[in-house]
Amino acid sequence: MAAGTEVAPVEAPLARPRTLLVGTAFATGAAVMFFGALFSLYSSVRNDTLAWGAEWFPEGAIELKPGGSLMSTFAMAAITMAWAQYSAIHEDRVHGLIALGLTALLGIAAINQTVFYFNDIGLPIDHNVATTLLYVIVGTHMVMTGIAVLWMGLVLLRGFGGQGTGRHQDLVIAVSIFWYAVVAVYSVIWLFIYVAK
Amino acid sequence: MPFEPTSHEVNIEDEQVNIEDDESVSRTMTDTSLEADGATALERVVTSTDANTLGRYWLGAGSLTLLASLVAGVLVALERLDLGGAEVFGSADEIFQFWSAYRVGLVLLAIVPIIVGLGTAVAPLQVGSDSIAFPRMAAFSFWTWLIGAGTTITGFLIDGGLGTPDAGSQRQAVALTLVGLLMVIGGLLGATVSLLTTIVCGRVAGLTLRRIPLFSWTLLVAGTFWLLTLPVLAANAVLAYVDLRGRTAVRFGAEDAIWEQLSWSFSHPQVYAFALPLVGIAFDIVPVSLRNRLANHDVVLVLTTLLGVVGFGAYAQSFFDTPGTPVMYQAIYVVDAFAAALIALALFGGLADTLRRGAGNLGSGAGNRPPAPMVLSVLAMLLLLAAAAVGALRVVDPFDLLATSATGAQMTLTMGAAFVGAMAGTLWWGDRIFGKVSSQGLGLLAGLAAVVGVLMIGVADLLSGFMGQNDFTGASLAAAGSPDSGVDALNVVALVGSVLLLVGALGWFANGIRRLTGAAAPADPWGGHTLEWAADASTVEVTSERPLLDALEHAGSAS
Repeated sequence: MAAGTEVAPVEAPLARPRTLLVGTAFATGAAVMFFGALFSLYSSVRNDTLAWGAEWFPEGAIELKPGGSLMSTFAMAAITMAWAQYSAIHEDRVHGLIALGLTALLGIAAINQTVFYFNDIGLPIDHNVATTLLYVIVGTHMVMTGIAVLWMGLVLLRGFGGQGTGRHQDLVIAVSIFWYAVVAVYSVIWLFIYVAK
Repeated sequence: MPFEPTSHEVNIEDEQVNIEDDESVSRTMTDTSLEADGATALERVVTSTDANTLGRYWLGAGSLTLLASLVAGVLVALERLDLGGAEVFGSADEIFQFWSAYRVGLVLLAIVPIIVGLGTAVAPLQVGSDSIAFPRMAAFSFWTWLIGAGTTITGFLIDGGLGTPDAGSQRQAVALTLVGLLMVIGGLLGATVSLLTTIVCGRVAGLTLRRIPLFSWTLLVAGTFWLLTLPVLAANAVLAYVDLRGRTAVRFGAEDAIWEQLSWSFSHPQVYAFALPLVGIAFDIVPVSLRNRLANHDVVLVLTTLLGVVGFGAYAQSFFDTPGTPVMYQAIYVVDAFAAALIALALFGGLADTLRRGAGNLGSGAGNRPPAPMVLSVLAMLLLLAAAAVGALRVVDPFDLLATSATGAQMTLTMGAAFVGAMAGTLWWGDRIFGKVSSQGLGLLAGLAAVVGVLMIGVADLLSGFMGQNDFTGASLAAAGSPDSGVDALNVVALVGSVLLLVGALGWFANGIRRLTGAAAPADPWGGHTLEWAADASTVEVTSERPLLDALEHAGSAS
């Protein structure tokens, strides 16, 4: 640049709306309400059933081990997602991709465990209202996990393609909001169904 | 202001301009490239992500399903003329299928989609955005809803529906109806997320949440409560569907239980959340019609939010009553009803105050008559007030109205109010949405027919409720209360009201069709106060909730 040439001042970037994050927050709120409704119905029907002195789950049918194993998986996945989020914010592409990949892997592992559990539990879905609710709640949560894993896969593909812009950062934070909701919902499942039964 | 995600910034370091993620840019590019590629009309229709076009789609499809729902309503009203047997339909189960189809259709297939359509076309303009957030998702949501609506209607028509009292429907068809309903809910949720994100993130500088036009504000409040309640309805539907499929239902999928689980969405208090945007429509139209400012803008913001809170009805699921006080007799349900009445009264008082203060300005416009949208929006508010009053009467224990036709009266009055509000809204913003003028006279006539029809249904069903007529009468005299007490005459009045409502809807639909071939509309036929009427919203300085009126007054004082 020639000396003495006037340099046009670079305009400060506009305070841009974080559209993706706001939209994700709305959608995640709706997903959480879906499970909130199922938990409320579970609690209501359970109270009603027990008040009549009827059986809820058959004795020994719901073991803590499978639920605990899944809870551990989700807890680890929450930590790896926090790592991915931290890396994205600090523009550490390599660690961000590793952390996101690990989270997706743990998500797939969680789905695998759920499918195994469904095959192993030995309780038909129409045994009683409790088992119907169990299958619906755990099954729809598996779908939610699957959606999150797919989303992570797309973000990973973008990352591998070299997209490391601010938009990518927003994408990682958006998927993390949804993933934390997945983990939070599972925590309630673990507490309501596996621990309290 | 267009949506400009961060990747749209010019990165100074590597001088790379990344625009591919900017949805507003990609929308324009997609539409342009489609035209350049010689895309067929069908391709353009299916792939359009333009907010105005999508708004028109919602309005068009919603008006067709509205007509279908109202036809079902007329048939059910006709059947009620003879309470001793099934005359129009073959059995009580068939009557129930049409009766429930009318309610589901009116709420989820007609009124809410029409409001979503109006919002999709108008709200981005009101906040100064040139596109809707997540336009592809908005388009996907519409098509999902449309296919879902078709599936739901098909389910009802092939002996399905949402269960029947005597378990006489086809289980596979019931499952199909539930799938359709889930798609409808999914479509509405997606469209709502797009709308809310547009209102929150797409505002131009200076347009704080307190300053956004009241239609957009009520959409924001109502949409938030839709996001909180529609997933609950989806949870009910999923539970029923899973229990129904392939085996004997344990409880949730039993045919006589499905409607009972879902019915909370189509009665007090949830219907208030669905109808809430009509308040915003009225409060946007009336002050502009009277060339006046709204004296109590902030109060209206608070009251509409409270009405949204009151309209949260997901808790009122009587099917899941546990031992103790049934939910409909609990304090929260009763307080909800009276709070809604008080809020509706306060809102109408605010509107009446604006009317009183601006009445002198009516003569300064074209002719001395109030504009048709203003008349209809005021009537819509009156219907809402009547609905809230019926809602309050319904929960008074000694009247014993909870299971009677007063429930239907409250639903019809509320959703009728929303429909009349939407009619006012389409007459008001139609010129902006379609770019063509329509007949205000025909619009007013259609609106008045709808108002009279809704009132006749509401009053007749309320009085029948006092005489003990059940909400669903079926084909049994036992549900008719006391046939000698005048219920039969009231059912004739309700039938005439249903026909009038259908005529009003037909008139509104015909006026919409006529608009498509009408003359070109002026840019701002009403002298609007808010950004949707600005030629270029990005050049308007926003320092209050009525930026165009500010500019006009500023120009007037300067000269």
